[in-house]
Amino acid sequence: MIKHQVNNPEERMILVCCGTGCLANGSGAVYEELCRALEGNDRYQVKTFAKATGCNGLCEKGPLVKIMPDDITYCHVQAEDVSEIVEETLIKGELIKRLMYRDPATKQYYRSHHDTDFYKKQHKVALRNIGEIDPAQVQDYLERGGYQALEKAIKTMTPEEVIEEVLNAGLRGRGGGGFPTGLKWKACAATDKQPRYVICNGDEGDPGAFMDRSILEGDPHTVLEGLIICAYAIGASMGYIYVRDEYDLAVKNLTTAIKDARKCGYLGRNILGSSLSFDIEIVRGGGAFVCGEETALINSIQGNVGEPWDKYIFPTEKGLWEQPTVINNVETWANVPVIINAGSDKFASIGTEGSKGTKVFSLVGKVVNTGLVEVPMGTTLREIIFEIGGGIQKGRQFKAVQTGGPSGGCIPEKLLDLPVDFDTLSQAGSMMGSGGLIVMDDRTCMVEVARYYVNFLAGESCGKCVPCREGISLLLDILTRICEGKGKLEDLDLLESMSKTIQQAALCALGRTAPNPVLSTLQYFRDEYLEHINNHRCPAGVCKELTEFYIDPELCNGCGRCRRKCPADAVTGEKKKAHEIDLSKCITCGECINNCKFQAVKVK
Amino acid sequence: MKIRIDGMETEVTSGETILEAARRAGIDIPTLCYSEAFGGQGVCRFCMVEIEVGGKKRLVASCTYPITEEMEVRTATPAVKEIRRNLVTLLYRRAPDSDLMKKLFQEYNCDRIEPVDPEESCIMCRLCVKACEKVGANAISTVLRGTEKRVATPFDEGSEECVGCSACADICPTGAIPVKEEDGRREIWHRSFEMSRCEECGKHYTTQPVSEHVKEQTELNSSSENICPGCRRKKLAAEMAKVRLHVD
Ligand SMILES: Cc1cc2nc3c(=O)[nH]c(=O)nc-3n(C[C@H](O)[C@H](O)[C@H](O)COP(=O)(O)O)c2cc1C
Ligand code: SF4
Ligand code: SF4
Ligand code: SF4
Ligand code: FES
Repeated sequence: MIKHQVNNPEERMILVCCGTGCLANGSGAVYEELCRALEGNDRYQVKTFAKATGCNGLCEKGPLVKIMPDDITYCHVQAEDVSEIVEETLIKGELIKRLMYRDPATKQYYRSHHDTDFYKKQHKVALRNIGEIDPAQVQDYLERGGYQALEKAIKTMTPEEVIEEVLNAGLRGRGGGGFPTGLKWKACAATDKQPRYVICNGDEGDPGAFMDRSILEGDPHTVLEGLIICAYAIGASMGYIYVRDEYDLAVKNLTTAIKDARKCGYLGRNILGSSLSFDIEIVRGGGAFVCGEETALINSIQGNVGEPWDKYIFPTEKGLWEQPTVINNVETWANVPVIINAGSDKFASIGTEGSKGTKVFSLVGKVVNTGLVEVPMGTTLREIIFEIGGGIQKGRQFKAVQTGGPSGGCIPEKLLDLPVDFDTLSQAGSMMGSGGLIVMDDRTCMVEVARYYVNFLAGESCGKCVPCREGISLLLDILTRICEGKGKLEDLDLLESMSKTIQQAALCALGRTAPNPVLSTLQYFRDEYLEHINNHRCPAGVCKELTEFYIDPELCNGCGRCRRKCPADAVTGEKKKAHEIDLSKCITCGECINNCKFQAVKVK
Repeated sequence: MKIRIDGMETEVTSGETILEAARRAGIDIPTLCYSEAFGGQGVCRFCMVEIEVGGKKRLVASCTYPITEEMEVRTATPAVKEIRRNLVTLLYRRAPDSDLMKKLFQEYNCDRIEPVDPEESCIMCRLCVKACEKVGANAISTVLRGTEKRVATPFDEGSEECVGCSACADICPTGAIPVKEEDGRREIWHRSFEMSRCEECGKHYTTQPVSEHVKEQTELNSSSENICPGCRRKKLAAEMAKVRLHVD
């Protein structure tokens, strides 16, 4: 195995992002082209390698190529650009402006993405290795301190000490519930049954979320190391990694990692000379959102229908095959080696009183910079959306941010200074969930948003229990009616009353959280509901039946943009004169309002 | 171990569910998906009760909650009643054509609600699936997910596994499974079965596959009889009377 030292001045390394996003945009070809160009070429001052890495969380800018130690980042690189990179940058040492990182907010060019606001404000713990190492090379992981935590645990700590350390670190589950990880391990270790199991939950069913995928693909060994440390702490004999079915690359990289870990003696019999014998198997997911719920996931591993059961006895006591089982989320596992290595105090020094460490968010929606963002717990929504995210696209107004995945809540502008952690988000009527952040602008109808998520949940509920299956169906019915202008005032009471029953009576957390999108929008955007019901008007101009657009002649300068964009030929007007919308032709698609640069198109 | 249910002290064994303990103590908790034969399913949530453990209150499904520590159970708090009423509203909306839901809708004094399908009567309690499982046939199961979930045979076609025993239809609380018996044949779940006659009274009482199944089992015990449950009861009573005579 060849050793690559990132900071060796005698060597230069070119990192090609080969995460799913970049691969889809052709980074595989870039990598191959680079390898070809570098092979046998002796015109460089220093030895140069190319390396395929995991996802950098900047998929929008991909394929991404980084040159180290020079610290140069090139974006949107294609195979055709390789010869230019070789000639200009590697040989002449010159930057290629057209490939440089350009900040979409400030339009400035940056030499390295490390210098951008998007990156500078982040704090990488769970994502520490991603984009920096080749996930297929265990050597890369070892060079960045990999498996040292395992050695430390096995050789210098008792299982109880390991559990104490995780407990003291204040680590809480990153999969949604925020349950203290150490407590879970402790409960499992305290049972008197054997065998015991550990499971990594990599189902990641939230639409738009990809933090777990990027860890599984980009740094698989860190997940393995976390699982093995837990196996040592709780005395488990077997581990399972449950991976969402679509995640082919994650499965591939994990398979390689497990093989290498076995070869190195981190998995198998008598790990590192201790009495611990432990192995890991990959299980491919059942392809349903609800399969991420831990009891449904266990059912799915056992070959049953992926339906949850009542967790009055925790899986730590009665889990997989009715045996004691610890199940944690991918990101939770990725934090474990860091805690053991750096110590619980160091870990607990990041974050808030009740939520320690960092959290990875998948920042998407109407925000300028989208991608994976890892920040200390307690960072405010404003910092995430406006500083890291660069604010709202096209200079529009912020309206709400939806957190926590499909059953999260919508948080309004007045709460933007909320320091984000497990507890503050719950108090605000939303939740951390797995860390989805969907930013919405003023062209968003909050009733329609609630309807959208409830509709998603109607299809993804497992359908086992009455409050969730029938309750969601009723919520969807009412919300659809309101969006069509057929809502009644009493509907709001029914929404609230049924939401409460669903929260209290549903069997699993999918149902119990399903009313969040409804209740949070009712709480913060009640006016919008009332406008729909009382005045048959959708103030955001989204619900087609309730929308009429018009052009304000004072603001319209007759640029004709809306006229050209309108698919129904409903806009008329002479150049440089105020335009008009013919309502008999208008199909309320919103193209005009979305494209007018002078905010001249208005909602009546 | 002792717990209190609605103020009444009750002796319970660890691991027993709240519902079982309450029923034994003569306290009625309404249920829709529970049957003594199969235990709690946690499906209908009609059996929700409030529990208080160490000063902390929680709402739980009594048919699946195993008692492992001392607690106070309240089976009819305002919150519990509100849940039941809403569940009845939801199930009536789903299954307006069932007598059971019509009755409960009145009983719980629910507000008017627009039904989804006026001809639907299944409340998805899954008792039929459980019964079929118990028979050993596994001919029906729940299919699809979310609001589309329903009970069906594979591909909605006649299933090879079905023996036509009608255990599913017999247990169904809403009469949602159509069974037609005519000219010595029974139709159920897209299949038609020839029925066999009772050796005593001569009435059609079960399907051929079932009586063959019974024969196979009983021939091993050297008494082969195909008689209907009614005649069986009569015969048993006669035998019991004989036994009693001997004793006397
Ligand atoms: C509907 C639903 C979907 C879930 N999906 C996931 C998931 O995709 N990944 C995950 O780690 N946890 C998911 N969870 C949470 C798990 O049930 C469980 O709490 C978690 O895996 C525990 O790990 P943690 O303590 O490390 O968070 C989901 C929960 C629900 C109710
Ligand atoms: S709450 Fe929803 S997802 Fe959970 S068991 Fe009930 S029906 Fe299934
Ligand atoms: S909303 Fe659509 S149809 Fe109406 S004016 Fe704009 S583009 Fe035309
Ligand atoms: S058919 Fe009857 S028994 Fe089966 S689920 Fe429906 S209501 Fe319950
Ligand atoms: S009786 Fe308990 S959930 Fe149905």
